[in-house]
Amino acid sequence: MSAPISSGFHFGRWALFLSTALLAILTASPLVWMISAAFKEPAEIFNSSLIPQHPTLENFRYVFTQLPFIRYILNTFFIAGTITVVALFFHSMAGFAFARLKFPGRDLIFLSIFSTFLVSLPVIIVPLFILVQRLGMVNNYAGLIVPAIFNAFGIFLLRQFYLGIPSELQEAAIIDGASYWGIYWNIMLPLSRPILSALAVFFFLVNWNAFLWPLTITTNQDLWVVQVAIASFQNQYSASWNYIMAASAVVALPTLLLFFFFQRELVESIKTTGLK
Amino acid sequence: MLDSPTTDTPQDEAPANPLTTGSMTRREVITTGGKFIVAAAVSSTFSPFTINVKAAPVKTLSFWQFYAPGGQVGTQSKWFEDCVKAWNATHDVKVELQYVPVQDYMSGSKLQTAFASGQGPDIFIISPGDFLRYYNGGVLVDLTPYMEEAARNDFFPNVMETRIVDGKIYGLPMEVEPMAMYYSVKAFQEAGLSEADIPKTWDQFLEIARKLTKGNRFGCLFETGPGYYQTFTWYPFMWQGSGDIASSDGKKSAFNSPGTIQALKFWQDAIQQNVAPRNFLGGGAWDVVANLASGYCAMQNLGIWGVAALRETAKDFEYGVFPLPLPPNGQAKTIFGGWAFVANAKGKNPEEAAKFCVSALGSMQDDSIQRVVDWCTKAKSDVSPRKSALEKATAEGGYSSAAMKLFKDEIFPTGRGEPRVPPEVYKAVSDAIQACQLGGADPKQTAEEASQRIESFLAGYTGAPLR
Amino acid sequence: MKILPRASTRTKSQVSVKSDSALGGRRHQPAHPQTGVFWTRSRKEALAAFLFILPDSLGLLIFVGIPMLLALSLGFFSVDGFGGYKFVGLANYNRMLHDPLFLKSLWVTVVYVLILVPGLYVTGLGLALLVSQKLPLIAVWRSLFFMPYVVSLVVVGLTWKVMLIDKVGFVNSLLQFLHLPGRSWLGDPNLALGAILFVTIWFLMGYYMIIFLSGLQEIPREYYEAAKIDGAGSWAMFTKITLPLLQPTSFFVLLVSTVSAVAGSQAFDLIYVMTKGGPANSTSLAVFYIYEQAFQFNNYGYAAAMASFLVIILLLITIALFALTRGGRFHLG
Repeated sequence: MSAPISSGFHFGRWALFLSTALLAILTASPLVWMISAAFKEPAEIFNSSLIPQHPTLENFRYVFTQLPFIRYILNTFFIAGTITVVALFFHSMAGFAFARLKFPGRDLIFLSIFSTFLVSLPVIIVPLFILVQRLGMVNNYAGLIVPAIFNAFGIFLLRQFYLGIPSELQEAAIIDGASYWGIYWNIMLPLSRPILSALAVFFFLVNWNAFLWPLTITTNQDLWVVQVAIASFQNQYSASWNYIMAASAVVALPTLLLFFFFQRELVESIKTTGLK
Repeated sequence: MLDSPTTDTPQDEAPANPLTTGSMTRREVITTGGKFIVAAAVSSTFSPFTINVKAAPVKTLSFWQFYAPGGQVGTQSKWFEDCVKAWNATHDVKVELQYVPVQDYMSGSKLQTAFASGQGPDIFIISPGDFLRYYNGGVLVDLTPYMEEAARNDFFPNVMETRIVDGKIYGLPMEVEPMAMYYSVKAFQEAGLSEADIPKTWDQFLEIARKLTKGNRFGCLFETGPGYYQTFTWYPFMWQGSGDIASSDGKKSAFNSPGTIQALKFWQDAIQQNVAPRNFLGGGAWDVVANLASGYCAMQNLGIWGVAALRETAKDFEYGVFPLPLPPNGQAKTIFGGWAFVANAKGKNPEEAAKFCVSALGSMQDDSIQRVVDWCTKAKSDVSPRKSALEKATAEGGYSSAAMKLFKDEIFPTGRGEPRVPPEVYKAVSDAIQACQLGGADPKQTAEEASQRIESFLAGYTGAPLR
Repeated sequence: MKILPRASTRTKSQVSVKSDSALGGRRHQPAHPQTGVFWTRSRKEALAAFLFILPDSLGLLIFVGIPMLLALSLGFFSVDGFGGYKFVGLANYNRMLHDPLFLKSLWVTVVYVLILVPGLYVTGLGLALLVSQKLPLIAVWRSLFFMPYVVSLVVVGLTWKVMLIDKVGFVNSLLQFLHLPGRSWLGDPNLALGAILFVTIWFLMGYYMIIFLSGLQEIPREYYEAAKIDGAGSWAMFTKITLPLLQPTSFFVLLVSTVSAVAGSQAFDLIYVMTKGGPANSTSLAVFYIYEQAFQFNNYGYAAAMASFLVIILLLITIALFALTRGGRFHLG
């Protein structure tokens, strides 16, 4: 619950703390294998031990020197960042309209938009590829960024969130003479910091780890994103799991940090109902 | 800023019709625009697709594969780059390498998406399992007219037969990968076994595997994950008992036979006697470093590529190789894998693409033969698909190590190429193997059901014959 | 709102949209026949709304809607994947209904959804409630719960394959230590789906935790404080305040997790990396079978027919849920 149970730190609190800590550590513990594999030599990877016998930084060195991995990280950062910002903007606008404004065909249009969520990329990839190619967006950043912005998921989530905001806030603003844009920009957006933070993390993460679309839409290796680069560590009859784990550990960091810093927004509640 | 619209919208834009309010007009715009886009997309998608480039002269051909540039194994990547460089130096139409990560190339969607949108690569590589899919789609160029007769005869017939339809050659193999068994010397020693104990029959094999299954190690390893690789590794066991998928004319199913049933049972026994695991480490049961070299299993059903893989990543690991064990009254049989260069008949310039494939692998020129030698003994460890290249490679010492010698002299002659089957037949075989090996199903019944599936498919099948 | 009067004798009746009443009715703005106002508040609102939804609607139409319609319409064709199309009418659909592998994959999908959706709901909400407490280092615990989702699926797949492997895997070693029999979690057709479900929940629970967290933040503290003053216990507060006010979020979670489980990439990707539909087709979800048909068998038309079948089922579920909940609005908007 959002409300604290009591002010003191009694037994119940300790039990809760310990079980939470234990559960969290258990949840993340399989990933310790990934981290330990990143420091192991190839022959050691599938040994059962978690501590490498000959720990090495060679894997990281290889990943960053044998491939232009920094470039791929910057590519992915640019792409995922742009998509996140634009998507948050467009989706919050649409979510606000569907939740708080009345217009003809509102629910029908929303249902149509939601129906685009019912197929995943492999189903539409062939016609989408043809379409994007006709639009001249193959092998450039536009093709990587633009199609990925539009996703019904964000619109749906934001709509549900905005539905939960008391309508009195909006009506008070209208009485005060605010325009619809003003309501959106000055009232709704600030109130939606928790959800926008969550979505920022989600959108960034999904696009940071994107593989299939970037692989399909580019042939130019300068445009590679990190997951495609990591896939190139697999050969026909062997896989350099040590490099894959090292690269994946590096690649997991930015989003984890993003989440760590955004999470305060996630738990700051709307302090008042605004009707004072 | 979306202020009160009356300040933004000019008065004279007000339409006359009461139904077309401001919002309707905008919606109309969206709908009309949408209709336009749909019409354009539909007509352009469903019309015969290539952006017609036959008018303009083509300067570059794309060559899609999973080795270069940027592939992990330096020698393999360099081989491809040198191959293309040699062509580009002497030809106007250039070839450009395009790297696709191997997992996606083999079982992903990038290649198929490209073909489906008319943008397939001009030159690419295929495995025998995929041959019919491309041949039946009319995508492969007949390479025979571009080859000298000596070159055509230079390729081993049992390697080529899966790439030949009606006497015409549609793909040029760059390698031959026979399957055998590898074993860990250390594991044998620990179990008190020696080279004399190397099993020759299935029963002996299972017995040795039992002795080797100790502690955290399994005695042997077969592929358990569904896919083309699993069926590929299983076929020789069926052939050893004279079983086969289809009759020799490819029209009827021959799957329901004792050879098939006992092969299914053999794989089932290995699992049920707990001498083989249900899962592998690493990327697949083709991964020798993750499984054999790490000590997870003591014997591994593996192909000739293991030699190079171990040479590169686990130099100190001591291993041995022996031919596949046989059933009672069985004949020595193994299977070849190996990928081939092919040219896209629906590509930008099929003729030049075909010439490239032939000049790279299929000409009698010294550089072509040397290229095959280099690929098979330096970049990888494979048997060469050409007689001349095999001789040359042997002379250069490429087959002097114990393992390579065994592959070349004893194992290669008993081999048969990976069958080319349409996907539905593959799936029937795959389901049968999975059901028996992992699902504990009755091999006799499974073979019969699979055979019926194959039979009913072949009844309506009109593509090139299975081989 | 500034309203400029304009000379006009037209009646301004609100455009009524019949479908609205099924999906949650709206109040109709009464007409003002005498004042001759063109830009009534409702018209301005409608215009503003259309402009707000324009970028996304256009984008979705172009980059998802149209490809989706094209892809699904291929269900009426036989496509060879190299440019050949042949109209075959309902042949693909007919084949689909008699295909034992497809029917089996539907069954696997049903089992998968029935376990995954409640599983994710309970774990997501449970974790959200847990981490919205003010406990020491809670920011660290929250990040650890989210960490599985941050890592790419290739890593998740391999990590769990190693952990679940026969005999030497961590899970089996632990069981042996506890004198329990080890099993082949991913190699036994009876256990593989369960193992995949376990890994999927592990992977996704942090994600749903966050969604529930943002939903929880909308519940004003005053309600809890008032309830405390009235002497309500934790359970009563949960059932009478939290759950009802979480309805929009719950609706979202249930619908999205169901759709993702049936048709989404998350379901597909993990199977692709870990089991490829095996062992013995026991983890062959419908979406995986469709992929196999499209990209391994070159039967795009057949795959499209199956995909449209799934879309129709999901659409029906969506419409039913929307109708039941007044468009997911409940009593709120």
